[in-house]
Amino acid sequence: MEKLLFPFVSIVGQEDMKRALLLNMIDPSIGGALIKGEKGTAKSTTVRSLAKILPCRETVEGCPFNCDPTRPDMLCPYCAEKLAKGEKLESRKVRMRVVELPLSATEDRVAGTLDIEHVLKTGEKKFEPGVLASANGNLLYVDEVNLLDDHIVDLLLDSAAMGVNYIEREGVSFSHPSRFILVGTMNPEEGELRPQLLDRFGLSVDVKGDKDTELRMEVVKRRIAFDMDPSGYTKQCQAETDAMREKVTKARENLPKVSADDSIIKAIVTVTTSFGIDGHRADITMMKAAKANAALEGRTEVTKDDIRAVASLVLSHRMRRRPFEESAFDTEELERCLQSI
Amino acid sequence: MPPVDLRSYPFSAVYGMDDAKRALQCVLVNPNIRTVLIRGGQGTAKTVLARSVGRISGKRIINIPVNVSEEQLFGGMDIDSTIKEGRAVMQPGLLSRADGNIVYVDDVNLMDQRILMTLLNSVLEGKVVLEREGISAEYSTDTMLIATMNPVDSDVSPHILDRFDLCAYASIPEGEDGKAEVLRRNIEFQKDPAAFVEMYREDEEKLAANIERSRKILPLVSMSDDLIGVSVELAAKVLADGHRGDIAMVNTSKALAALNGRDEVMRKDVEEAAMLCLAHRRNYVQEQEQPDPPQEQEPEEQEQEPEDQEQDQEENDTEEPEDQEQEQQPPPPDTDLQQLMDDMVFEIGDQFKVIDYLNDGRRKVSRTSAKKGRRMMVESSDSSGRYARSRIPQDRTHDIAFDATVRAAAPYQRTRDHTDLALNIQKQDVREKVREMRAGCTILFLVDASGSLGVRKRMSAVKGAVLSMLRDSYVKRDRIGMMAFRRSSAELVLPPTRSVEYSYRKLEEMPTGGKTPLAEALVTVNEYMTSYSRSHEGEMCYIVLITDGRANVPLSEGSDANEEVLKLAQDMAIPQVRWVVIDASSGFIRFDNAERLAEALEGTYFRLEDLNAERLAESVRAVIQ
Repeated sequence: MEKLLFPFVSIVGQEDMKRALLLNMIDPSIGGALIKGEKGTAKSTTVRSLAKILPCRETVEGCPFNCDPTRPDMLCPYCAEKLAKGEKLESRKVRMRVVELPLSATEDRVAGTLDIEHVLKTGEKKFEPGVLASANGNLLYVDEVNLLDDHIVDLLLDSAAMGVNYIEREGVSFSHPSRFILVGTMNPEEGELRPQLLDRFGLSVDVKGDKDTELRMEVVKRRIAFDMDPSGYTKQCQAETDAMREKVTKARENLPKVSADDSIIKAIVTVTTSFGIDGHRADITMMKAAKANAALEGRTEVTKDDIRAVASLVLSHRMRRRPFEESAFDTEELERCLQSI
Repeated sequence: MPPVDLRSYPFSAVYGMDDAKRALQCVLVNPNIRTVLIRGGQGTAKTVLARSVGRISGKRIINIPVNVSEEQLFGGMDIDSTIKEGRAVMQPGLLSRADGNIVYVDDVNLMDQRILMTLLNSVLEGKVVLEREGISAEYSTDTMLIATMNPVDSDVSPHILDRFDLCAYASIPEGEDGKAEVLRRNIEFQKDPAAFVEMYREDEEKLAANIERSRKILPLVSMSDDLIGVSVELAAKVLADGHRGDIAMVNTSKALAALNGRDEVMRKDVEEAAMLCLAHRRNYVQEQEQPDPPQEQEPEEQEQEPEDQEQDQEENDTEEPEDQEQEQQPPPPDTDLQQLMDDMVFEIGDQFKVIDYLNDGRRKVSRTSAKKGRRMMVESSDSSGRYARSRIPQDRTHDIAFDATVRAAAPYQRTRDHTDLALNIQKQDVREKVREMRAGCTILFLVDASGSLGVRKRMSAVKGAVLSMLRDSYVKRDRIGMMAFRRSSAELVLPPTRSVEYSYRKLEEMPTGGKTPLAEALVTVNEYMTSYSRSHEGEMCYIVLITDGRANVPLSEGSDANEEVLKLAQDMAIPQVRWVVIDASSGFIRFDNAERLAEALEGTYFRLEDLNAERLAESVRAVIQ
């Protein structure tokens, strides 16, 4: 029996966190999201609840690496071989999944390794796909990402950067596509994230608990109601959940139609410059996020409001700061930038 | 009911411990409460109580040893069957056996933090996800966790504490009557366990029946919005982070109502629940921060205790301890000044690039870029860390290097029997993995915050130096902690953490003033670090003691404080710990107290000024020229 998860649509508040996750679902190339925040603020609950609203995608029937048939340039060796032989790749529509990387994961299970059964039965080498293979085309979730072993983080970084998992170990040499939405959650009290990993996340959110009594009461009531009768509660939210999934799917379809004129490009560059951010990654990410946001709102034109909605998500973890300075996103500064154009 | 274990002490025979008993009953009644922590000193019957839960719940108690490995706990590969059957066979972990039962961890604070975190999450989610060593599995486990700990040893982090739905504090019963009763029962139990258990059988049965009944009532228990509001506000009042406290409050209040045979939560249930749900989620940090608007330039910050404030005021009138004045004053005798310097907060002084003060080859300028400092690789004793190479195992191994094993077996395949397997692996082929991990490093700063360092803004310099060293650790990703001592005690300001932002704030707020309880500080740090190093095996720990070494609060009245300190220092033997003493004294006459202390601790000695890498380079250059 599958354990029921607290429904996404029933999570009170935390709009920034929800937005960061939704934008990534609409455009996975945004580069994932890092959710930082104090304990007990529904970080994990929210990420896990995405399972029910993730859109569908194409995959090659029976491929253990979840290859995408629409991307012939990004195939695993098996699918590539099939294609080269002139065989057709059977396509199938599947729901995207939340693949979890547990903290105790070992390197061989993350990257994949020798298929022991195959070696023993036939004496031949065969590759056994790991978490990075199941994550391909899906959402890879790392809870307590700051506590992950350094060598596992290295593996993640390599794949996240290249979209390919290269394995050169234990006498195996292999590679397969591994493109995923990387979502990490962490409590900064337990330690910081390595800067290299921080850079990899397209968006980041600082989550704080609500202080408002009414809101907190609502949180408690919903949670208790869910715990008392998970299936009944899930059913109650079904229509809303379906509508949310529909909204995301639609936004995904509409994304290619979203356009941004020069004034938006200028606004983005002005904002990143005034926040002192070097390099182009922030600009590109901000544009993607703004477009995704427009698609989410059902528009085909990016407006300044989209920039307002995504700026802190894109910039807060990229602002240069010295180790001991508190970082706070300056919304007034953003407003000044936007007004000046 | 399972067969009654005659050797286990009955739940109802445990004297006192009302909070803990209540907490345990709540867990048994409400399935949405899953984790309980019982904190208490030695000999408070925490363990006895936790184990006695089996009898009244009809559940099995699965004991998880503190040094459990990830494979044992969550599951791993069953090597024998894997080789026999020719496919990866999973060996279920302790947690899979816990389904429907109770898991119990003694001394939970000594458990590996990452394993503990995974354990808590698994219990709370009712699900174990395994991606280890060729085994990829997910299984559900419906269980509850009871843990005990002695907070005198190292404490668990707030992050982990928050994951305990309930936390009860066990205390030794007060008064001689209570103690006598405990002893009496104990003797009786020892003499004839069977008779003792029989004596309490009726009580136990009643309890079990009440729990059973309460479980049935629970779904019918209602709680008014008013009381939910009260719960949430209480949680807000103690500044609990997040919503776990709120949710636990409601779940516990309902369980308590059910236990009292009611179908409606009353105010007193909420009050009782608060004791169990909120005490361990209390936050102090923000309490002080909030009323404090942006800091002004004034060097003296008013202290917290009102009585002292008055005293100070009087002295202020007569002596006016203005900052500028102090600078002009020559280093005066400590006694009077200490009083008058009570509780000042000095700003953080100049920072600088520090020398590699932790390395033995002392007084070398550190080349941060060239070497990785002290973060060396060590062989890991369990199966965490990077698979570096393989070797022939000494005895039974759980961490097989499969490629190497297959390779080892390959040459013999033609001469070995093959039944239905392509590969015949024999015992002698098996290789195990040698794993390496980076050795962590913990640095505990033991900072003298007594009044004698208030002289001539010395404390600012000390803070500057500490911050410089903190920065150095930030770059190297060490774990750092801070303990400050002044007046009559030493206080752990910051438990070792990798997050330095917090340390910065703590350092900034750290007040100075009072006498120098150096001996007390050594005793406290000894206790703390001994248990800390025990729970962080393989981690190199440093204690950086920053002091002028002039103690003036003896442990036992009448003895010489300084001699006491030296004697203590000589006896100090904390495993995996090295000492660095930084002499913070200043002035023309430099006492050699700190230097002698360093000698007694067998630690390295530096003067505060010598820490500055650039200045050192300058002085070296001066000598050469």
